[in-house]
Amino acid sequence: MKILIIIPAYNEEKNIKNVVEDLKINYPQYDYLIINDCSKDNTKIICEKNKYNYISLPINLGIGGGVQTGYKYAFLNGYDVAIQMDGDGQHDAIFLNNLITPILNGQADMVIGSRFINKEGFQSSIIRRVGINFLSSIIYSIFKIKIFDVTSGFRAVNKRMIEIYAYDYAQDYPEPEAIVVGAINNAKILEVPVIMHERKNGISSISTLKSIYYICKVSLSIVIHRFYLKGGRIMIE
Amino acid sequence: MNLYLRLALFLGIIIYSIILLRLLSNKRLNLKYTLLWILLGIIMFILVLFPDILKLFKIIGIIEPINGLFSVIFFCILMILMSITAIVSKLNEKNKTLIQTVGILEKRIRELEIKIDSSNSSGE
Repeated sequence: MKILIIIPAYNEEKNIKNVVEDLKINYPQYDYLIINDCSKDNTKIICEKNKYNYISLPINLGIGGGVQTGYKYAFLNGYDVAIQMDGDGQHDAIFLNNLITPILNGQADMVIGSRFINKEGFQSSIIRRVGINFLSSIIYSIFKIKIFDVTSGFRAVNKRMIEIYAYDYAQDYPEPEAIVVGAINNAKILEVPVIMHERKNGISSISTLKSIYYICKVSLSIVIHRFYLKGGRIMIE
Repeated sequence: MNLYLRLALFLGIIIYSIILLRLLSNKRLNLKYTLLWILLGIIMFILVLFPDILKLFKIIGIIEPINGLFSVIFFCILMILMSITAIVSKLNEKNKTLIQTVGILEKRIRELEIKIDSSNSSGE
């Protein structure tokens, strides 16, 4: 079983080392891959100096394009499981096995680490939770899949989903849309409880104004995907 | 339509066509993406040459022929803008794939270089 941990990183010079060193020491059985999304700080130099396994994009693509690069790499190199894990230290590697186990047992095609099942750890602001609930209920009403933490970027997928995402992955704010793409492709999606930390250094990529755009864009995209489904269009051939 | 108005519109279309052809011959515009603009020029030209066509707009309540002309041009511009959005979207997608491929290839080259270096030094 080849397992790859995809770590998207944009301006994470302060956090990336902790994240990767933790993986290297505690989880040497898994491969990891840092996607440096054309960071303006020293992220690339840190990767180079420490001889980390990394891809450095020549132009900034945004989180979706970055993560998709990881899926493409996983697909090209025949990985069986791919895990997404943020480079900012929000996601704790302790939960990696909880994410991978359902996939290895064939219980799910996609496993999402959720903050909201046990309601432990960092819960994000109230406004953001309202937005997440809204998206969650849209996805439920259209696809009849109940996922609480639709924006969680801590998730694992199997080989079939790696191939699908290598071809089809949204470019900005991709997490809810990735669930929709999974739902269209009849993926079994499972949520497992995780505890997330508040990011230690740097600023989150989502500001208040952007979150309005986020909600509008993602809602629209979910509805449009629904039309795809109705028209019998398959996303990947 | 007033004769002077028609002359003014005609002059406008001439200037429009000259600019368009200039840009095309300078290779500043790609013919593929300019076809719609040329089509718009032809439509405008026909309507100014035969303004009686615009009287048909009375059926849907547009009494002044000039307003009919505006409606046609406005619709054509909307179409052109939409086609431009489609072109940009496609370019964006191609660009993304290109950047991702460069990233993946750059990693491969880097690893191959390290491999060659180490095999050279061990061979000596």
